[in-house]
Amino acid sequence: MKINELATLKAESPDTLPSAERRNFLKIGLAVTGVYLGGTVLSLTSVVDALAEGPVPSSGKYPYSPHYTMVLREHLCIDCELCKEACVKTNNVPSYGYRTTILERRRDIVGGEKETIFMPVLCNQCNRPPCVRVCPTTATWKDEKTGIVVMKNSRCIGCKTCMAACPYNARYFNEETRAVDKCDFCWESRLSKGETTPACVEACPADVRVFGDLADHNSRVFQLLHTPGSIVWVLRPETGAIPNVFYTNA
Amino acid sequence: MKKIVAIGFVGAILFSYLLISAADQPAVEQEPYDEDAYGPEALIVWNEPVKGVFFSHQLHTMEMGLDCESCHDDLFEMEAGAAEGQDDFTMAAMGDGMYCGACHDGSMAFDVNSQCASCHQQPEDAIVWTKPVKAVIFEHKTHSEDMGLDCESCHDDLFTMQAGAAEQADDFVMASLYDGLYCGACHDGSTAFASDTRCTTCHIGVRGYARLMGEAETPAHGAEH
Repeated sequence: MKINELATLKAESPDTLPSAERRNFLKIGLAVTGVYLGGTVLSLTSVVDALAEGPVPSSGKYPYSPHYTMVLREHLCIDCELCKEACVKTNNVPSYGYRTTILERRRDIVGGEKETIFMPVLCNQCNRPPCVRVCPTTATWKDEKTGIVVMKNSRCIGCKTCMAACPYNARYFNEETRAVDKCDFCWESRLSKGETTPACVEACPADVRVFGDLADHNSRVFQLLHTPGSIVWVLRPETGAIPNVFYTNA
Repeated sequence: MKKIVAIGFVGAILFSYLLISAADQPAVEQEPYDEDAYGPEALIVWNEPVKGVFFSHQLHTMEMGLDCESCHDDLFEMEAGAAEGQDDFTMAAMGDGMYCGACHDGSMAFDVNSQCASCHQQPEDAIVWTKPVKAVIFEHKTHSEDMGLDCESCHDDLFTMQAGAAEQADDFVMASLYDGLYCGACHDGSTAFASDTRCTTCHIGVRGYARLMGEAETPAHGAEH
């Protein structure tokens, strides 16, 4: 068969392949997207995260030490926004931007009523940060020790590509510093000065925001993410960014 | 505008009550209302220290047969709004026999600490607390009409009627509710949903507060790019 004839072949459904076979490919990081000639020719694409373990990394697979993580106990958030106030004060965030904010959604519940769910959002300090990948001047990078995605304002040219790349809308352009600004878990303002928590965590009256080192099995974040029966999720897992901000209702 | 509607509403109730009374005693009620003899025909409305308290001259003079001198000027000055300006124009003072409490003592007329709704209008708007966190709402209507609670279910043991009083208390916090104080008296998981569940039923947040106050929502920075 000539190679240009392959393009004219009609693809069979990947379902014609046994699921065990497709799983074997997944284990080596490849998804079967097309089957030709009864399975003698396959079309494959690489998949970022084909593991069935969910958004929480397996114990021992934390690349950083301390592996800073925030767990948001979403059902407890009441949108009092004391976190936002503390963040603004601590990090000099202007009124037109935010490092963290609260989103709101409504859903129908039994009895014809509606329920409000408040969702705190911030930089997810991703393990594979799309913002870092697109920055043309290496003004933003993932700190090798803590895993925090940090900014060097003097290198930022304000192209805003990182803002477009961020799956979490967690960056804004600061007119005063002429650089993109973002949450750094209060690394510059607090953690590097010996504090153990970001300002938002300190300010939260409802114990929504839990911060700590995921690599430490005694930390509250580890406990929350590994509680039997609990459900943990991340925002936009399909982007493959592997976020370090987790959500739970535990 | 809302206040006028509220007054109109209560007025309508009172008016229909008078109509019913009129039907019972046609001979007495035919008499035209004489403001010089009986005082202002319109309801007296007080909005301090709490909103929406009503007094009918007609009910007390024409129907009950009281003289002007029964109350004026010893208990109440005739000048409109004079009582409202007094610091002691409170339920506590009335309990001590001042103002309405001179007669409303439980023997001459119903006690001031009973039948609250005879004079007090139940607030139509949601009660909004902004301390210790912004913001928490309470709907009287949901609790009285839908749940069938009396005023006495909460007033004055759990909450005084005075607006904003709870907010000033240091113990107006969730931990107190868990101990059965304030809303926690019923919201304990058996009578009503527990105080540590369904947070956003009452907590409307900064966003909800802004909506309630008719403020524009704070624009997200995402809007600019």
